[in-house]
Amino acid sequence: MAVKVAFMQNSDCWGCHQSLLNAHLGLLPVLPALDIVYWPAVVDFKHDSLKARPDGDILVGFVEGSLRTNADVENAKLMRAKCQLIIAFGSCSCYGNVHGLANEWDIEEAIKRKFTQVESITDESPHEPKEHMPGFMRKIVPLDEVISVDAYMAGCPPKPEAILSAVQFLLGQKPQPMADLSFCNDCSLNNESCLLEKYDLCFGPITSIGCTLKCTDNGDPCVGCLGPAKTVSARAEKLKAMTQNIDQLSSGDKKNLHEFLTLFLNVPLMSGFDLAGDILKQVRRTGQPKTALANIPADTGDIYANLMKYLKNNREFIKISNVCDQCDLEIGSKSRMTKVKRDYEGLPNKTDCLIEQGYLCAGPITRAGCGGMCMRVNAPCSGCFGQTAWGVDQAERFADVVTKGFNVALSKEELLAQVKDKLGFMEKFTLATNKNYR
Amino acid sequence: MVKEINVEPVTRLEGHGGLRIVIGDDGKVKNAQFNIASTRFFEKFLEGRYCEHIPRITPRICGICPIPHHLTPTKAVEDAWGVTIPEPARKLRILLQNAKQYSSHALHFYALAAPDFLLGPFADPALRNVVHVISKMPEVGAMALKMMDFGQKLCADIGGKSVHPISAIVGGMKQPMSEASRDKFLAQVNEQVEFTKKTVEIGLKVVEDYWDVVANVGVVPTYYLGMTNNGVHDIYEGDIRIVTPEGKKIDYDVHNYLDVLGEHIPEHSYATHMYYKPAGYPDGIYRSNTLAMINCADKMATPLADGALKAFRDKIGPISHHTFAYHWARLIELVEAIEMVATLLQDPDVVNPDCKTLDVQPREGNGVGMTEAPRGNLLYNIWSDADGICKKANLLVATNHNIAGIEKTLMHVAKQVFEDKVLEGLKLPDPWID
Ligand code: SF4
Ligand code: SF4
Ligand code: SF4
Ligand SMILES: [Fe+2]
Repeated sequence: MAVKVAFMQNSDCWGCHQSLLNAHLGLLPVLPALDIVYWPAVVDFKHDSLKARPDGDILVGFVEGSLRTNADVENAKLMRAKCQLIIAFGSCSCYGNVHGLANEWDIEEAIKRKFTQVESITDESPHEPKEHMPGFMRKIVPLDEVISVDAYMAGCPPKPEAILSAVQFLLGQKPQPMADLSFCNDCSLNNESCLLEKYDLCFGPITSIGCTLKCTDNGDPCVGCLGPAKTVSARAEKLKAMTQNIDQLSSGDKKNLHEFLTLFLNVPLMSGFDLAGDILKQVRRTGQPKTALANIPADTGDIYANLMKYLKNNREFIKISNVCDQCDLEIGSKSRMTKVKRDYEGLPNKTDCLIEQGYLCAGPITRAGCGGMCMRVNAPCSGCFGQTAWGVDQAERFADVVTKGFNVALSKEELLAQVKDKLGFMEKFTLATNKNYR
Repeated sequence: MVKEINVEPVTRLEGHGGLRIVIGDDGKVKNAQFNIASTRFFEKFLEGRYCEHIPRITPRICGICPIPHHLTPTKAVEDAWGVTIPEPARKLRILLQNAKQYSSHALHFYALAAPDFLLGPFADPALRNVVHVISKMPEVGAMALKMMDFGQKLCADIGGKSVHPISAIVGGMKQPMSEASRDKFLAQVNEQVEFTKKTVEIGLKVVEDYWDVVANVGVVPTYYLGMTNNGVHDIYEGDIRIVTPEGKKIDYDVHNYLDVLGEHIPEHSYATHMYYKPAGYPDGIYRSNTLAMINCADKMATPLADGALKAFRDKIGPISHHTFAYHWARLIELVEAIEMVATLLQDPDVVNPDCKTLDVQPREGNGVGMTEAPRGNLLYNIWSDADGICKKANLLVATNHNIAGIEKTLMHVAKQVFEDKVLEGLKLPDPWID
């Protein structure tokens, strides 16, 4: 049974969908598993057909685009009603994207420029079109300020591989089939020296047997590479109890949990795909058989749910890496920033960090996920995957990080004084999240 | 009773559109509207930005045509600042622009248009899409995917990212192609030329099958807006060319665009209506995009494409007002795109590191850049201050250029369908697939 999915496009460029299509041949194995019930760019279903569906009829809804018009907001609400899971698809819906830069002005100013002042307009008294038009939101806000969102996929656009793996994850498509037994049955420590007895977070009880590396042979816990097993071992009780009231995790446990999330759940944390809390609970409640991990043993599900709850309450747990972490250019290089250079000046050498060569690069304040794409063609990052910290003064933070961690001869103040367009550089993709511009 | 027909949304269209056709008591079509219900105010929020960052913002106007939306503002800023780019950079950009043209035209033909032709216009809407085409014609589907993939990958290699490229910079390109990458695409390009020929075969067969439709439905005389370089079809640089409904060709320097292109703000669409200013509105309504480009061209830039243009003219004449000939025109451009790609991949300049001039200084003034995107003309006018900060911007993009012409066509077709019942007498072929 194919899973029902819907794609909604709000005010945007269609690029997230183009990115999905860019997976080209990679799409072929996924398509038969999808029953696409709404996708205006590709499929001929009309808006009314979406409205006519019962609430919750669709499993996954991808919502692309900024909320610029009142119709965009209505569309978002409609999708929320009809879909069990909502993914904020791309930086437009996650953060408002470049369109959010319009929040710098009142909407009346923007309307005036576009519909009355533009040089090529020839009408005598031009004005905002109103007939059958939806009207504009005063300010753009991110999707999750209008409806609740279950997962975020950042990027402008998100990478095809990330989209595909997220779709596969949501469909419960796993690289290997589930084994009957769990890894504990194969573990050399399956006795008094079991790591769980020592309160180390080990995921062996719920992970498929069949691994040849066997981390436990070296005394390291299993982090679940092979995915869930059909049955769990007796030690699952112990693991469940541990995850039930975790309020504090040792740093070792954190690392295990991080790897577990990436490997066991196949959640590409590094690619900008975030779950907002307990996605599994929702999936299991609806009992749709082909969905994410829905046919795993009950104990495994409980453990997973406990971890998700923990994550939901500890969002800072996942240390969000920044673009510099994925960039090949060298920080602490021979170059030293003595003044801010504009992008058109000179041409960067291809070894030293762009900031140290003088260019403004948003890498240090931008979350990882793209793999450092722009620097590969010698261009600085402009921040399209969103910030690594929210609700702070991004210019201050940028200057802070750069003057502390990079080879820079300028003070914070000197640096900032040389950045003429701070909003356009630091908050190009995220201004809609900034409450000072509402 | 007055009847209103609404199509909401118009599917397989990029953008947010609805159609509205009003038919009166007397059975006459009273009104036909194309309502574009979204706009994002780039003309406002570019103000205050670094001019050289504009090409990193405007690709978000369209995820299908981000490359022309990257290159056009770059050209506009270069024009404003009086920058001349090195020849290797120019060639790289032309290669990039054609790679985009190629993948986009393939996408349009197979994903957006083919479902109608291959399944027939009356097929079940649940099946009338590219996913179904792929499952029913796996070989053609795989070929289509390979064509889009080739073009998109080439865009990604040169542009840094295929969706929302970053490699053009005021003064040239951030880097040339690597030799390894060039060799990889060179090795595949002959296969792509063959795919293109096969696509043209399919396309021409479709045109023949549907000739009754092509020749009789939506034949609407309008003006045409295109770009030519000394009369030759060019999608990267050239003059504005207007073709009158009678087929007269008139060229204008892009800097005089305000004398040529008028913008009317309609009551019922956020996308504004462009028209040929000397002829007034609505008489001067023009169409843009593939058919317009073909009507404008004296000749194509490459031999196979030029042959294809001649075949087109032999059948249709020197000027075509046939809306359904847009698909045929697109195929001619598809051929040119792959020939340009094949030629440029063999040009040593695309791997030449001398692709960025160091002689770039902001200055106060305004500049105009124009290119031809796969969906129509793009014209950017950017005003820079002495520090190179954008004071204001005017963007005339494909949607503006197309929308008045589409509406005019819609009215014409609505009358044909609802008043003259033209569909009843049409000869339609059997669907290729069901
Ligand atoms: S996130 Fe970027 S690619 Fe996706 S729709 Fe928005 S602008 Fe386009
Ligand atoms: S600042 Fe930019 S160039 Fe430097 S390491 Fe970070 S991402 Fe790379
Ligand atoms: S480097 Fe920055 S701007 Fe470029 S793709 Fe990555 S996050 Fe986006
Ligand atoms: Fe405009």
